[in-house]
Amino acid sequence: MKSTTRFLFLMAATAGVVVASVCLGPTSLLDWWSLRELLGQGPSTPELERAALVLWELRLPRVLLAAAAGASLALGGLLLQAVFRNPLAEPYLLGLSSGGALGAVIALATGASSVIWPALAGSLVIASVVLLLCRRRIASDLPSLLLAGVALGALAQAFTTTIILRFDPGALRSILFWLMGSFAGRGWYEVSLLLPAAIIGLFVVWTFHRPLDLIALGGESAHHLGVRVVAVQIGSIILAAVLTALTVATCGTIGFVGLMAPHLARHIVGSTHGKSVPASVLAGIFLTVGSDLAARTILAGTELPVGVVTGAVGCVFFLALLTKKR
Amino acid sequence: MNTPILQATGVRAGYQGCEVLQGISFDLHPGEVLGVIGPNGSGKSTLLKAVTGLLPLLGGKVQITGKDLSNLGFRERARICAVQPQVETPLFDYSVREFVLLGRHPHRPLLGRAGPADLQTVDAALVMTDLLPLASRSIRSLSTGEWQRSLLARALAQETPLLMLDEPAAHLDPGHGYDTHALLRKLSREKDRSVLCVSHDLNLSAEFCDRLILLSNGRLRALGTPAEVLQETLLQESFACSALRVTTNALTGNPNVVYAR
Repeated sequence: MKSTTRFLFLMAATAGVVVASVCLGPTSLLDWWSLRELLGQGPSTPELERAALVLWELRLPRVLLAAAAGASLALGGLLLQAVFRNPLAEPYLLGLSSGGALGAVIALATGASSVIWPALAGSLVIASVVLLLCRRRIASDLPSLLLAGVALGALAQAFTTTIILRFDPGALRSILFWLMGSFAGRGWYEVSLLLPAAIIGLFVVWTFHRPLDLIALGGESAHHLGVRVVAVQIGSIILAAVLTALTVATCGTIGFVGLMAPHLARHIVGSTHGKSVPASVLAGIFLTVGSDLAARTILAGTELPVGVVTGAVGCVFFLALLTKKR
Repeated sequence: MNTPILQATGVRAGYQGCEVLQGISFDLHPGEVLGVIGPNGSGKSTLLKAVTGLLPLLGGKVQITGKDLSNLGFRERARICAVQPQVETPLFDYSVREFVLLGRHPHRPLLGRAGPADLQTVDAALVMTDLLPLASRSIRSLSTGEWQRSLLARALAQETPLLMLDEPAAHLDPGHGYDTHALLRKLSREKDRSVLCVSHDLNLSAEFCDRLILLSNGRLRALGTPAEVLQETLLQESFACSALRVTTNALTGNPNVVYAR
C-alpha cells in the first residue's frame, strides 16, 4: 500500500511539472487558459492566435520531446543496471554519447543539413562495434563490454576534439550547446522520432519485467528459473542502445538522467521491476521536463543547456546519496 | 525399478581449455536424496552446472525425466528442476517475500499478478525455511545464513519434482543446517521429491542421504550408501587428510567422521 501511495505522488509530481512546463515561459500560457474560458472559445484575437502558436509549435513539442528523452534515458539506465547487475551502470557507458557527438561534429564540420542522422549513425556504429567485439564473451564476462565501451568512447572523443579544434569560433558555440544537450529549437519532427520509440520501449521492458528481476539478482539463478539469460541480455543492451542513440541524436547528450531516474524510482517504489519500470519512466520525465523548465526560466533572457541543469542536479543528488549511506 | 528422474551418462564438462569432469555417470530416482561430496575443486559445482545446462557438455548425456536436457525448453526445465545456487551477494533491495515469489516465475505468464496459489506456495516455502518473520525485510539486510535460506525458499517455491542444492548449509548455524537437511529428507519421503545435494558436511550427509557420490579430480571415486562411501582410507586419500577417522554414531548407527590429531 505504502509504495502505491508513493507511486501516486510521483505520478502527480510528474504531471504537475509537465503542466507547468507547458504553461510557463517567456509567453505565459496561464493567461491563455483563462482567456479561453472567458471567451468561451469565442472569436479569435491576435493574443489567442499567438498563444495557440506558442502552444502548438513551441511548447508542446518541446515538452513532449523532453518527456520522451527522459523516459528513454531512464529505460536505458534501468535495463543496463539490471543486465550488468550494477546499480551504477548508465546508458552512456557503451560509448553511445561519444559516438553520437562524433557524428554530430562531423555533420556540423561538413555543413550537413541535419545533425540527427549522423549522430544516430555515430552512436549505433560505436554500440555495434562494442557488441561485435564482445559477442563471444557476453555469456561469461559481461563487464568486458563496459571496458570496450569506455575504450571506444575515448577514441571517438579524441576524434571529436581534433575536429572541434579546427572549427571557427562561431561554430564552436553551436557544437558546445549540442554537446550539453538541449530541447530548444526542436519540433514535431524530433518528437515523431523519439516518442514512438520511447512508448514501444516502455511496453517491451514492462513485458519482460520479471526476467529483468531474475537477471538483476544473478545470471545463474535466472537460468535455473527458465530465463534465456543471454538472449534477454543482448536484447536489453540493443534496446538501451537504440533508445539512447535516438535521444542523443535528437536532443544531444543529457547527462545523469539515465543514472538518477532508476535510482530515484527504486528509492520510491522498491526494486521490483514491475514497479520500478513505470516509476523510472515517470522519474525520467520529471527530471528532464523539470530541468528543461529550470534551464529556460532560471536566468531571465538566456537559456542554459539542459545538460548543465541535469549535471548540477546530479551532483547534488549523488552527494546526498553518499552522505546518507555513510 | 522406476525410471530415474535424472540420469547422467559419461558426462564430461569444463571451462576454456580445462576439462573438469572426466566422464561421470549416475542416476537419481524419485524420492531419493543423493549427496555429492569431495574436496575443493573436485568438480561438484561443475557437475551441478553440467546437469542443469549452465555449462555445455563436452561429452556424454544428461536426461531429465527420460528427455535429453538439450531438448528441454527453458521454462519446461525450470518446472522440473530447481537449483539453489551458492551464495552471491545481492545488489538490489527486494523484500524476502518478493524474492521468494520470483521462484514462481516458470509457472506464471509474463504479465499478470500472482494468484492466490502462488502466494500460498510462497508462504509455505517461507515457513519451511523459518523465514516468515523476515518476510518483509530487504534481502540486503539479511545475515549470510538468512540470505542462504532465502535462496532455498525460492527453490522450494519453484515446486519442482527435482531439487539441486550447492552447499545449502555452508553458512548455516548447526540448528538451521540440521533443519535444512531434515527438510530435504522429509520432502523426498512425503512428496516423492528427488534431491541432489552438494555438501561439505560429511556427517549430515551420512545421516540424511540415501546414497553418496564421492568426487575426486573430476572423476567418480565412489558411489553407494553412506556406509559404503564413507570409508576411512578412501576419505583420507580423497581429501588428502590423514587425520580423518570414521567411527559410528552411537545414537543413529550411521557413519560418523571425526578428526584424530
